[in-house]
Amino acid sequence: MNPVIEAKDLVKTYDADEAPVRAVDHVDVVVEAGEAVSVMGPSGCGKSTLLHLLGGLERADAGELSLGGDRVDRLSETEWAILRRRSIGFVFQAFNLVDELTAIENVELPALLLGASRRDARGRAMRLLERLRVSERAGHLPDRLSGGERQRVAVARALINEPLLILADEPTGNLDSKATGDILGLFAELRDARQTLLVVTHDARVASTADRLLTMRDGAIVGQTRLEAGRPTASALAGLLDLGDTA
Amino acid sequence: MQEAILSLLAKQPAHGYELRRRLETALGPAGGALNPGQVYVTLSRLERAGLVRVDGRRGKGHVRRAEAKVYELTATGHERVEAWLNDVGWSKVAPVEFHLKLVSAAQTGLADPVALIEAQRLELLRRLRELQDLARTEPEGEGALLLEGAALRLQADVRWLEACERHWIEQETR
Amino acid sequence: MIRSLRVAARLAARNIRRRPGQALLLLLTLTIATGTLGLGLSVYGSADAAWDRAWTATDGFHVSFDVYHPPDERGNDHFVRSMERRAAELADAPGVVAVGGPWTHLYGSIDVAGGREDLTAEIREPGRYAVDQPLVTSGGWLRSGDDGVVLEGGLAATLGAEAGDTVTIQGEPFPIIGVATTVSRGRFPLARPAQVWVTPATAERMRDLGMTVEGFELQMRLRDPADAPAFVASHRPAFRADPNSSAIAFLETWQERRADSHSDIDIVAGTLLIAGILIAILTISTAAVLVAGRMSARIRQVGTLKAVGTTPRQIVLALLLEYGAVALVATAIGIGIGLLLAPAIADTSVTILGTPQPRLTSTQVAIVGGVAFLVVLIGTVRPAFRGVRRSTLSSLASGARPPRRPGRLSRWASDAGLPVPAVLGLRSSWRRPGRLITNAAGLTFGVAMIVVALALRDSLDLLNTRIAEPGHAASDAAVGVLYDQIRAIVLGTALLLVTLGSINAFIVASFAARDGARSHAAIRAVGGTPRQTVISLIVSQLGACALAVVLGIPLGLGLWSLMEGGDLPETGVSLLALLVVAALVPIVFAGVVSVPARRLASRPVAPLLTYE
Repeated sequence: MNPVIEAKDLVKTYDADEAPVRAVDHVDVVVEAGEAVSVMGPSGCGKSTLLHLLGGLERADAGELSLGGDRVDRLSETEWAILRRRSIGFVFQAFNLVDELTAIENVELPALLLGASRRDARGRAMRLLERLRVSERAGHLPDRLSGGERQRVAVARALINEPLLILADEPTGNLDSKATGDILGLFAELRDARQTLLVVTHDARVASTADRLLTMRDGAIVGQTRLEAGRPTASALAGLLDLGDTA
Repeated sequence: MQEAILSLLAKQPAHGYELRRRLETALGPAGGALNPGQVYVTLSRLERAGLVRVDGRRGKGHVRRAEAKVYELTATGHERVEAWLNDVGWSKVAPVEFHLKLVSAAQTGLADPVALIEAQRLELLRRLRELQDLARTEPEGEGALLLEGAALRLQADVRWLEACERHWIEQETR
Repeated sequence: MIRSLRVAARLAARNIRRRPGQALLLLLTLTIATGTLGLGLSVYGSADAAWDRAWTATDGFHVSFDVYHPPDERGNDHFVRSMERRAAELADAPGVVAVGGPWTHLYGSIDVAGGREDLTAEIREPGRYAVDQPLVTSGGWLRSGDDGVVLEGGLAATLGAEAGDTVTIQGEPFPIIGVATTVSRGRFPLARPAQVWVTPATAERMRDLGMTVEGFELQMRLRDPADAPAFVASHRPAFRADPNSSAIAFLETWQERRADSHSDIDIVAGTLLIAGILIAILTISTAAVLVAGRMSARIRQVGTLKAVGTTPRQIVLALLLEYGAVALVATAIGIGIGLLLAPAIADTSVTILGTPQPRLTSTQVAIVGGVAFLVVLIGTVRPAFRGVRRSTLSSLASGARPPRRPGRLSRWASDAGLPVPAVLGLRSSWRRPGRLITNAAGLTFGVAMIVVALALRDSLDLLNTRIAEPGHAASDAAVGVLYDQIRAIVLGTALLLVTLGSINAFIVASFAARDGARSHAAIRAVGGTPRQTVISLIVSQLGACALAVVLGIPLGLGLWSLMEGGDLPETGVSLLALLVVAALVPIVFAGVVSVPARRLASRPVAPLLTYE
């Protein structure tokens, strides 16, 4: 087994007004290659912080973290940036596209940072935008795009360097139901394609696209479950859909 | 399902198996959940209740098999359909059963409400996963809409369960 | 209306209380502008007044007829006699109501500060004169039987002498009877030669000592001083003996003399005024940046206020009151600075009538106040327009301006294969062209002033290395002192402008960093390093710097060409020096801007990426 993420005993504390808050309290997480994992929990349970720690956007106060087999807890900001270019794709609730760049420029940015030629980066970006059905908006600035389009551009950006791992933080938090549906389909596709995925969410539908579900509360992981794939039996479906007799 | 079958006959009479097929199509990917026998049993019941009758003149000879019988609506049947279409009742708004389950568990001490909730929640999430996988096989059509409805309700139920959890955890720490 | 004012006043007060630092910073920058302007205007104003007072006090001339023939030249007798006839005609000309002279001038030498200076002695009969009654400031006027001289005020000041002391003329001591001021001569040592008045008897003694006649002067007053130019035009203004001779006679109006005579304080005041204007422009641009930096918050505030029922009138009033209060205080302080410091400055220079009295004119108040209120307009108009006119929703939704489509230049830049951070930097500078221009404007004047300072330094060096002519040592020294003053002012201004420009650049860069923080966080999230963030911010600001250098250097050269000439030797600025400036300015600028850039890079990224 080659775990993509191996986190042991992660701790992150914040100084709040009254007393220090343990946002992440001795958390262990292991994500295997090709696994899709979702993390659910009430607001303030620390799931976003955990995601930030796994992606190097914040530093743990204690604990060990390895990505792709390499220890990363002592990396500098610059080293983290280079690691992210190569290996991590982020999807955020607030989209976080660069406002001054057009959609396609946003998508090709990580590729350019990694040293791809302009033509290569542009080509890959365009293909991704096509795959995500948002290519007609390629030359638009983010403020001209709808929420759903922006998030699809963000997903394209996350995918362009074929990263080891995709980290998503409430990807549907700012989306309407149609756009949410699109993203759900997208994530299911990624999961089927064996992209290693960790999604933090409190939308049950997003969470259930994963293979494994972790529940967090007060900074700790309090439960996990496997979600099986496969078509349900007829009777299970009937029960599901309440197709019994009505008198 | 009774009313649905009645309404399918409102426009014109139909064979038993036609009715079954139409229902299956309407359910889309969930059509597999439909028990064929169920349809014919329901038709018999409707006949006994005087809402449909068999049109003996049509159909193929002396048929006893339910599929081949041609059914049509009685006058009462028509009334019933109209009433049903205009009825704005909504089934099962409140999750009464589970709510009572929690209350009784807490009062009798037979089970830990929080554990019950967690178990139910995970189960719902599993079902949600199944539903969503099913929906992806046929993304267009009214059947998909049905599944989306089911998924959204499950999502709502999960949120309710999370609210329950918060409440019961608070109760426990008192 | 009253109620609106009260609401507006409360709003304004609350805004100032909530961000006192911002208000203070704005006040500081505005006060620097109004202060320098006020100072320049005050000094300038006091000069004019001093000359006018002296002119009135001495019954000064309206038209003067000067005849000069070089003492060591022969053969001008015929010319001189015809000029004497001419003088007699002029004295009788229509329109002339009073006549002074003709007074003969002798040429000689006087010992000043260990050297010999040229001297003119004007021969006057003791008594009162219808025109040009010199104003005695020490001792008394000429009396018959007196053996001694009355010194011109500037000469006395240079010698540090008063009535009762002695001066050495033609190597012999002469007692000083008194010191007097006149407007018929410029003030020594800016106007040369030195001047004394003597009685005919003393003049005889001087001729025995070797002084020779060099000309005479006739002064006239007309019915109306405004007629002077017409009078001069209707009579032949100038005469020459013949082309080979230096003998000359000419008519001069009092306006011309006035324009010539207080050139010393003029230069100082003029320099101060130019400096003040440049500083004012720079600080206005800084103030505009400060105000604009709060613009989005303001616009949002306007939206919020409208949403809770504040009327548009109250909102606009509140904005006016808030910025108006700051502007008012800045104006008052600025004018106060002008009034307080002007005497100090004017005092150190050589002026006509003792301490010039700086006056507070309505023009001064208007100019200074106008400058301050310009900022008020900038601060009020945009939020008022955008917030009050547009719908509440759109103001609430975003106070920030949406980004522009990437321009051709930046597309070219990215196509040209510039590194990613540089392209990003260029893109974000295009986003706010208004800020780019205000930033550039401020820096441009700084660069211009540096160029002027360089040219002036070269010019003054040239001046100092001029061979001191015999007879001009003291005055040269005094002029040197004056130009040291000017140089100090110019250098001081250049330094001030550079500092202000740096502050401006710092502020603009800080706002740019703040506004771009989320974009930078996004770039960091996808793999941009902190260093790339720093570079992109610096590049985004460099556009303004480049513009400033390109515009500032020619501007500075142009300003210098206006200033040079006359007593300031003409000089250029060497190409090498310009290249050094062109290279150093961006380097220093990048250094200044790197501070907020580094701060931006060290900001924790996570909070910016999380939904607020």
